[in-house]
Amino acid sequence: MITTSPRPVAPWGVCALALVVGVATAGAAELDEVRRRGELVWAADQEGGGPHVFPASDDPTRLTGFEVEFAELLAAELGVRARFQQGQWDRLPLLLGRSADCVINGIELTPERQRDYRCSRPYFAYALQLLGRRAGPLDAFERLSGPGPHGPWKVGVLTGSAAETVMRSRSDLDVEVVGYDGTLDSLEQVRTRVLDAAVMDDCIFTFYADRFADLRTVGRPFAGGLYAVLTARDTPELAAAIDTAIGRLIADGRLKSLYDRWDLAGRQQMLLLRDATEIPAAPSRSTWDLVRETLPLLVRSAGMTVLLSCISFPLAILLGLAVAVGRLYGPPILRPLLTGYVEVLRGTPLMLQLYAIFFLLPKVGLALPAVVAAVAGLALNYSAYESEIYRAGLKAVPLGQFEAALALGLTKWQALRHVLVPQAVRIVMPPVTSDFIALFKDTSVCSAITVIELTKRYSVLALSTGRIVELAVVTAILYLAMSWPLALLSRWFERRLESGGQR
Amino acid sequence: MIAIDSLSKSRGSLRVLHEVSLAGAEGGVTALVGASGSGKTTLLRCLNGLETFDAGGLTVAGHRLEPGPHVPATLERLRRDVGMVFQQFNLFPHLSVIDNVTLAPRTVLRMAAEEARMVGLALLERVGLASFAAARPATLSGGQQQRVAIARALAMQPRVMLFDEPTSALDPTMTAEVLDVIIDLAREGQTMVVVTHDHAFAKRAATWVVELAAGRVARQGPAAEILS
Ligand SMILES: Nc1ncnc2c1ncn2[C@@H]1O[C@H](COP(=O)(O)OP(=O)(O)O)[C@@H](O)[C@H]1O
Ligand SMILES: [Mg+2]
Repeated sequence: MITTSPRPVAPWGVCALALVVGVATAGAAELDEVRRRGELVWAADQEGGGPHVFPASDDPTRLTGFEVEFAELLAAELGVRARFQQGQWDRLPLLLGRSADCVINGIELTPERQRDYRCSRPYFAYALQLLGRRAGPLDAFERLSGPGPHGPWKVGVLTGSAAETVMRSRSDLDVEVVGYDGTLDSLEQVRTRVLDAAVMDDCIFTFYADRFADLRTVGRPFAGGLYAVLTARDTPELAAAIDTAIGRLIADGRLKSLYDRWDLAGRQQMLLLRDATEIPAAPSRSTWDLVRETLPLLVRSAGMTVLLSCISFPLAILLGLAVAVGRLYGPPILRPLLTGYVEVLRGTPLMLQLYAIFFLLPKVGLALPAVVAAVAGLALNYSAYESEIYRAGLKAVPLGQFEAALALGLTKWQALRHVLVPQAVRIVMPPVTSDFIALFKDTSVCSAITVIELTKRYSVLALSTGRIVELAVVTAILYLAMSWPLALLSRWFERRLESGGQR
Repeated sequence: MIAIDSLSKSRGSLRVLHEVSLAGAEGGVTALVGASGSGKTTLLRCLNGLETFDAGGLTVAGHRLEPGPHVPATLERLRRDVGMVFQQFNLFPHLSVIDNVTLAPRTVLRMAAEEARMVGLALLERVGLASFAAARPATLSGGQQQRVAIARALAMQPRVMLFDEPTSALDPTMTAEVLDVIIDLAREGQTMVVVTHDHAFAKRAATWVVELAAGRVARQGPAAEILS
C-alpha cells in the first residue's frame, strides 16, 4: 500500500466510465494477444510511491522502484517488454481490460479481490510498523491498549490501505484512526503533533526515514500480508503465465537478489512467499445485500456532507457580505486589502487552501481539528465568490434607495442594514442558491484533509468491496436526493423574482 | 428657517448654480420654479446635503452647511429636521407601507415599535391610506405611493419639507390627491420648499417664489407679486 489517491473521482464520473467500459470492452487481452503485441502493460500510481514505483531522483522522467524491476522481469519471462501505465491507486483495477493487462502496485491479497479479479501468487510480503515521535510518550505498541495522554491515541493511516483495515478492526486498542490521502501525510502530522502515531508498511518508512529523522519505529512490525499481481477475470491464461513466471523468479533466486538490492529483507521475503497459503475467496454478495450493508455508512457520511455545507455556507455568506460592503462603502485604505483577499481566494484552488489550513497552520502552533479546518476552508473560499455576487447585488439597488434612506436621517450603516442589504439579498438569491449547490458538491475535496464525507466513503467502500458501479449509483442517488430540493428552491426564487420583483 | 447666501456649484466645467441667494422664506411655502435644467433639483438637494457645493453657504432649520465635503454627523442631525419627497417616490420596495413610514422613527429616533406604529398609522390616516398599511408599495398607484412617501417624511416631524416636482411622475388624474395633501400641510403652517411647474398650485399654496434660470436667480419675491 503505497501510493496516494489524490482526488476522489465524482461518483457520476465513475458511473459514466462504467457505461463506457460496459459498451467498449470486448474482453481483456489474453496471453496470445499480449505476445502478439510484444508488450505487457502494467498499471501503477507513481505518486508518493517509494520504494515501489517512483520517479528517479536524478531523472524524474524515468521510473524506478522494486516493482518496476519486478514488472520487467515478469514481462521478460512472458517474452515481451514491460510498459508502464499511470493510474490513480484506488482505481487501478478499473484499467484492467482497457489500458492495462495487469496491476502491479502493492495490491494486498484480500478475499474480496480474489473474488472480483484474478490474483497471482504473492510476490512480496509487507509488514505493518507503528511510528511515533522520538521524544514522544508512545514507546511500545502495548501502550495503545490504554488511553493516551489526551484521550484515545490518534493514529494516522493511508486511506484504503491494509494499515487502515487492520487498525480499524483492532477494537482492543484505544485508538482514533485518521485516514489520509497521501502516503506521507500522516508522518507529517505526527511530526507536527496533530497525531500521536502513524501506521504504514515498514519498507515505506525505511525508504523515507531520512526525511523524518525526528520520528522512530515503535516496537517490531505487528501485522503483515502479501502483495499479488491483479489481472482481469476473463484472462485465465495470462494469469496462469504470470503465476508460472513468479514461481520461476522465486525458485531461481532472481526475486531474492532484486529485494536484496533494494534492501527489502530478501531472505525473509522468500521464506514467506514460499509458504504463502491460499486465501479463500469471499462469497459474492447480491446487490441488495451490498446496498443494505453499505447504505447506513453512506447515509452517515452524507450527514457529514450536509453538516459541512450547512455550517460553512452561512459563514461564507456573512463573510462575503461583509467583504462586499467593505469594498463598496468601507474606509478607502481597507478596499485594496479586501480586493486582495478576494483575488487570492478566488485565484487559488480550494484544495490548496485546505492543505494550508490543515497542514501548515499546525507548524505555527494552530492545529485545527479536520472538520473545523474543512469548514474554515470552505467558508473562506466561498466567501470570495459570495462577496463578488453581493457586490453586484448592492450595485444593482437603485441609488435613489440609498438617498431616500439618508434623507430620512439614517446613517450610512443604517441605510445599508435596513435598505440596501435586504434588497441586495433578494436580488442575488438565485446565484447564491446555485452556489450553495456548488459548495455542497465541493465538500468532497475535504477528504484530502482526512474528513470522510460521502464521496470519500464511496471511494473507500468501492475499493474494499470492488463493487464500483453499484455503489456509484447509490452514492449518486444520495447526492441527487440532497441537491434536487436545492435546485427546485433556486428555480422557485428565480421565478418569483422574474414575476414582479417584490413580494 | 431657510437662508442661502451666494451659493455656487459646478459640475466639471458646467456652472449648475451661480451665486444663488435666498432670503425672506422665513416660514411658509417657497415655490422653486424655472425651466428644465435650470438647477432646481440641485439646489433642493443642496438643502439636505445630498449635494455638496463649492462656494457660499446655507442654513436650514438652524443647521449650517459650508462648501466642500460635509461632516456625516452634521448631515445626520440636519436630516432629522429636513424631510424630502422625491420625484420618483423612492419607497423601499421590500418593506410594507407601514414599515416604510416607521423605519426612520425606529432606527433614527429609537422610537418603540408600538409607538412608531401608532404614529405611522395616524400619518397614513392623514394621507388617506390607513387601509393600505400592510400592502407592498408596488401594489399601490403612483399617487398613493407619493402620499406614502409624504407620510414617511412626516414621520420624522421635520421642521422643513422639501418636495422635488412631487407630481411630475404621476398620471394627471392623480396629481390632485397629492397636491391636496401638500396644501393641507401648508395650511397647518409646515415650512416647505416645493419645486413645481404647476402655476395654479403655486398660486394657491406658495407664499414666496424663486425663479431660477441657468443656475441664477432670475426673480424672487412674494407669491402675490411674482405670480400675478
Ligand atoms: N448627476 C448629474 N451629473 C451631471 N450633470 C447633472 C447631473 N444632474 C443634473 N445635472 C445637470 O445640472 C444642471 C441642473 O440640473 P437639475 O438641477 O436637475 O435641473 P432641474 O431640476 O431644474 O431640471 C443641468 O444642466 C443638468 O444637466
Ligand atoms: Mg429637476
